[in-house]
This record gives sequence, structure tokens and C-alpha cells, in this order.
Amino acid sequence: MRKLVLIAAATAALSTVAFAQSPPQLPPGEGRDIVAVACSQCHTTNIINIMRKSAAGWREHVYDMFDRGAQVSDTEVDVVVDYLAANFGPGVNVPKFEVAALPDGAGKDLVQQRCGTACHDLTRVVVPRHGRKDWDRVVARMIQVGAPLTADEGKTIAAYLQEKFGEK
Amino acid sequence: MKELFKQYLDKGISRRSLTKGLTAAGLTAGAAKTIAQSLAPPAAAQTAAAAPAQIREMKGTGGALFTQQLKAAGVEFIFFNPSTSDSPIFDSLVDESGIQLIKGVQEGAVVAMADGYARASGKLGVVVVASVGLPNAVAQMVNSYKDQIPILVAASSVSQESVGREQMQEYEGIERVTQPMTKWHWMASATTTIAETTRRAVKFATTAPAAPVYLSFPENLLRTEATAQIFDKSLFNVSMKVRPDKLDIEAAARMIIEAKNPLLSIGDEVFQNDAGKEILELAELLGLPVAGQGGSLGFWTKPFPSKHPLYIGPLLRQMRFPGAVDVHLNIGSKHGEQHMPGAKQISMRRDPTSLARGAPVELGMVTDIQLGTRDLIDAVKALATPARLKEIAAERLARTAEFTSKQRKLLDRVIKETPYDGDITMERLGIELEASLERDTIYVNDVDSGKRMDAFMSWGPDDKTYIGTGPNILGWGMAGAFGVKLAKPDRPVVGVVGDGSFLFSGPQPLWSISRYQSPVTIIVLNNRSYNNERNRIWMSGGTQFQAGRDMTCYLGSPDVDYAKTSQAFGVDAEIVKDPRKIQEAVSRAKKANAEGRPYLLDFNLARNGIGAASAWHPAYSVASKRKRMV
Repeated sequence: MRKLVLIAAATAALSTVAFAQSPPQLPPGEGRDIVAVACSQCHTTNIINIMRKSAAGWREHVYDMFDRGAQVSDTEVDVVVDYLAANFGPGVNVPKFEVAALPDGAGKDLVQQRCGTACHDLTRVVVPRHGRKDWDRVVARMIQVGAPLTADEGKTIAAYLQEKFGEK
Repeated sequence: MKELFKQYLDKGISRRSLTKGLTAAGLTAGAAKTIAQSLAPPAAAQTAAAAPAQIREMKGTGGALFTQQLKAAGVEFIFFNPSTSDSPIFDSLVDESGIQLIKGVQEGAVVAMADGYARASGKLGVVVVASVGLPNAVAQMVNSYKDQIPILVAASSVSQESVGREQMQEYEGIERVTQPMTKWHWMASATTTIAETTRRAVKFATTAPAAPVYLSFPENLLRTEATAQIFDKSLFNVSMKVRPDKLDIEAAARMIIEAKNPLLSIGDEVFQNDAGKEILELAELLGLPVAGQGGSLGFWTKPFPSKHPLYIGPLLRQMRFPGAVDVHLNIGSKHGEQHMPGAKQISMRRDPTSLARGAPVELGMVTDIQLGTRDLIDAVKALATPARLKEIAAERLARTAEFTSKQRKLLDRVIKETPYDGDITMERLGIELEASLERDTIYVNDVDSGKRMDAFMSWGPDDKTYIGTGPNILGWGMAGAFGVKLAKPDRPVVGVVGDGSFLFSGPQPLWSISRYQSPVTIIVLNNRSYNNERNRIWMSGGTQFQAGRDMTCYLGSPDVDYAKTSQAFGVDAEIVKDPRKIQEAVSRAKKANAEGRPYLLDFNLARNGIGAASAWHPAYSVASKRKRMV
């Protein structure tokens, strides 16, 4: 039965593909013009639209792009990061995802409320199967790039995911 | 001038007198030499007139004729993996000290070694492999072909009397698999033609634009004895030191002097023609902002000093700086001819086949890059006074330096903010390598995501030398580094490969590195994935991204221990996980190299980008599918 629920959840979540494939639209704001030009020198800005990150997460990303040759200067980088975090941060401009039914357990509500709303739907959580260390790493990484979670909440979520969606 | 030509063709005057006369008539020395060469008598006549030392007759097997012709062409090494039927080639080298054999244990590695040697030395890389292994060789010939590297690949094929019988290891027309990756391929038809065929192959491979060539020798021809002529390399070494038309150069000089917002892009041909110093002089003379070949994949050289205030980074489309360019001068870059709205494009290339191929150019010139750039410098100096040039350069430099200094400040900030804790990041490793590698290191690169480290390191004619491949076939790096060290034994050589590259090539290059006591340092960037590939795939927002399932790029299961693999081949190695221990590990590698030993560093690195944290991959167990436990 659980398998059926998950398949239904995955199907429902995949119906939100429009989020990822909508045409690139950069909201107005300070920094938009820099992003529009500097980022499109190598790729479309649609890539930005499919990610949601905190300022720390976006800073890491912008630094990565700079390492690869993006023409951004020291006087612009903070503006760019602020713009991206304000317009593509967790919970910002995110479509309302359908909440998938999850098996009961400590942490279920946290997963439903935090992992499947702010940045992406729950498909990315419930479909892949991870081992124990891997779930710890994934949750830690999510917090690092902006998931709205405290460290304790992260531990609760990781434990729940290990139990319910661990490697078989 | 016509009279001079007539006198020369009628043999009334010598070639030297012709050159002298042309120079007196106003041509540059290089142009005069080129014209004199173009008027040279046909090969047969030249052969007859050549001094005895330039041509010698010899009797020997087809194998001996092949190797003696290679020796006469100046070949120092033959890279090989043998077959039974090519044994006459190796028989002929038993008492021959002029050619060193270098064995590889897989044909791809053999070609990559020869390719690395050819890139670093500018000389021909010669490969002999089994005919049946030719498809393995072709995989690495892709790199040589795309980057225009001179390689001669030879194999023995079945005896002529067996052709068409579909005998063991006969693949009818197998030479045709090389066709897309060679400038020329040929099958010898008689033992007497082997030396001549070899001579021609060397000429095709080495004449710019260089490329791989393929020769097939039927087994019976290699074994049969014949008498044939061996030709000295001076008889077929075609000089491509051509200079551009004087009027074209003057027009180009005028355009870049008068430009309001010019851009200079440069590429691999600058390295191939050793024109780094001329490019620097030209850029500084006119204050030209310089863009290298770019994109995250990059190309195979970095011939401009990367810390120079005029260096603005890789050539991108619609560059924010310098903005709307009015004159784009491309020198030596196959990929530099890009459509730039409103810009006039000048392109100086040594390769006429790809000139104006990617995009139209207003002024295209075929030239040796060093000589052409020198002519352009001279033309610029002839068209404007030193004071005027100084004024132009100062204004342009100020604009560019304002941009590059801000870029530099951001780089410093990224360096400062790169943490020491946690896993080793590409950034941290790049910073530490910059601090610990010798300045004259040759950095041999076969990575994808690892190119992020390039920004933290410095390159250029008087700095570390960067040699890689274009973004084509992985698996070149370790063998390529070995070939580079062979060509430049007195310089530190560091080969950097991703775990992906290592697995592409397999460990086979370590066998040659170990056997030939090649003191190179191999660095494995082990992030247990095709990291850039996953990022590119997931950035499209497709189903793998949506589902959080990396169907293709995770490499960490099994978690390969590259240090142990290396040790199995007799190459000392260690795993490095702590960012604070990087420099110590590099010091141990340098010490080993100084003692004449190779060393491998397996850096366990953090993955980065979308989906980086996950190690999920589509698992499958054959063992679990068994109904019988065998």
C-alpha cells in the first residue's frame, strides 16, 4: 500500500514540472540587470528559476560561476547574491505543491511542511532511496544551501527519512 | 620580379639570390623565403639533385625500411603495443640505438602518450599498434585530430594473399575507421614503397595544420626484403612559416589602432607557434583586452599570462566587458571567430581549413602566428608614432585594468572565504596547488569539473604551462602527462585527472610511468562522480532533477581506492582527505619526483552543484538474481 501511495505522490509531484520548465523570468529588482547579462553569457537564466537557495547557498553558486569565468566583480557580487536570495530563495515564487501522503512517524510533519514546500516537491525526497550516511549528508547539504531547518529539526528529518525511505 | 622568377626557374640564379632579390624588391624575408619555397623544383628533380647524405639506399625488410625512414625523419620514440605480425618493425630495432621504444599496454594509452609528447615537443608522435586494437587507438586519436596534433599511427594488417578471406583478425577495410580522425590514411602496396609511404605520412602529419595519419602495412610486406631509398627530413620538412599579405596586415593594423572598443581573443595556435611573447607585446602596445579560449571546459593551452591586467578571462558570448566591441581581432583560436553584432572581425590563423568556418570574418589571414603577430606589431608601429600608441594603450589599459582589478579583488575574496574545514573543495585544492607547485611546472590537465581550479592558479609563457586537450575524449591525462615528461624531462610535470578520466583510461598508463621511471606527479580529483555532467543534466530541470535520481553520473559505488591501484603498479601513492594536509602531500610527491620516482595523490574531494549531496544511483545486483548459487 505504501508503494501505491508513493507512486501517487510521485505522479502528482511530476505534474508540477511547469515550475521547472516555465520560461525564464527574472523579477525586477536591484541586481536583475547584472544577472540577466552575466549569467546568460554561458547559459539560459531558466537554470536559476529551478533552484531555491539561501544567500549562503547562492553565494557559493555565484562564486562557482565566477571561478568558471563569469564576469562579475567584487562590487557587484553582493548585489547579485541578495537579488538571487530575495527572488529565488526558499519559499519564494514557488508553486503550491501537492502534499504527498507519507507514512506516520516522528518527523513526518516536518518533512511535509519543510521539505516539500519551500524549494521543491516531495518527489525528490521520497523517490530516491538513500543509506543512513547519505540521508545525513543530503539533509545537512539542504540546510547549508538554505532549507529552513534548525540543526535538531534536520536530525529528526534525517532519522525519519532513514527509517521510512532508507536503502532496502 | 617576374624576371627574377624566370631566372630562378631557368636555374640562372640560386635560391639564395632569388630570396635576396625579392627582399630588395620590398618583400619581407619570410615572404621571400615562402615564395622561393613555392617555386622549388618538384620532388623528383629535387631528389635527383640532393646531396648523397640526404638520400641513401638501403636493403632491408619492410619493417627496417619503416624504422630507418622514421629515424631519418628525426623520430626519437616509437610508442607501441605489439602484435605478432608487426614483429619485423621491432626486429629492426634490436641493434638500433637511435630510436627508443616506449611500450604501453592498451592502444588508447599508447596514442595518448604519443599525443602528450607531440603537444609538449612540437614533434611527431609515432605509434605502432596491433591492427585488431586499432579501434582502441582511434578513441584517443579524436583528441589529436580535434586539437591538430601530429601523430603517425601504423599497424600491420593481414598478408596481401589473405585479404578478403575473412581470416582471423582480418577486418576488411579496417583502415577506414581512422578516416574521420586522420588527415590521410594509406595502405602500402609493396615493400619497396614503405619508406616512401612513411615519408609522405610524416609530411602529412607534421605540415600545419597538423593531424594524425594512419598507415597500414600488410604483414608480408613487413617481412619481405627490398631495396629502397631513405630520405632525410630536410627533403620533406615543409615550412609553414608563412606570413600574411602586407596590405592585409596594414589594414588590420589600421583597424585595431582606430578601434574605439577592440578585443583580442587568442587560442591554441599561439602555443603551437610559440607566439606567447609576441601576443603579449601586441596587447601591451595597443592596450588590447585579451580573452582566452573558454567556457567551463576550456581548451588545451593558456598562452597569455593570466595575472596580467589586460587578461579578462575566457571568451564568452556577449561579454559584459569590454561590452559592444567594434573590432574583434582573433589570433590563433579555432573557436574565437564568433558572431559579434556590430564588430568587424579580423582572424589570423595558421589553419586555413577552419578559418572563417565558425563565423564569417571581414579580414582573414593564414599565417604562422609568431611571424604574423610580429608583422602586425611592425605595421602598427609604422602607422602611428610612439607617443600616439602610448596614448591609445594607456586609455585602453586604464579601462581594462579597472575591470580586471575588480575581478582580482573578487578572486581574493573567494580565496579568503574558502574554508579549510570539511571536505577538500576544488577551490581549496587550486589555492594550495598554486602555493606549492614550482613556477615552471607543466600542468597536464584532463578534467571537467576540475577546471574550476584553473582560476586560482597562474599561467603563461613565464609561468606554469598548461597542456590539456579540447573537450573531447577523457582518459588522456595520465598517459598524456607521461608523454609530456618524456618531451620535457627537466621540468616538473603534474598530471591532473578526474576519477572519471582515470576510469576512462584505466590504470594502464601507470604501467608505462612505472616501467620507464618517469618522475611525474599524478593527481586524481576523486569526487566519485561525473560532477559537471550531472550538473549539466540536472540544470535542464528534467525528470532526473525532478525525481532527485542521478541515473548516470555517480561513480562512488564501488568506491575505488586509486592510491592502492597505483601502488599495484609500483607507483607510490596516498589518499588525501584533509584540506590542511594538501601542501604536505604535494611536498612528498615533489620529493619522490626529485628522487626519480613517480607519485600519485588521490584527493578525496567534495562534489558540488545540484544533487551533489546524494550518492543515489540505480543499483542492480546480478548476485541477487541468481536462482543457482554459483
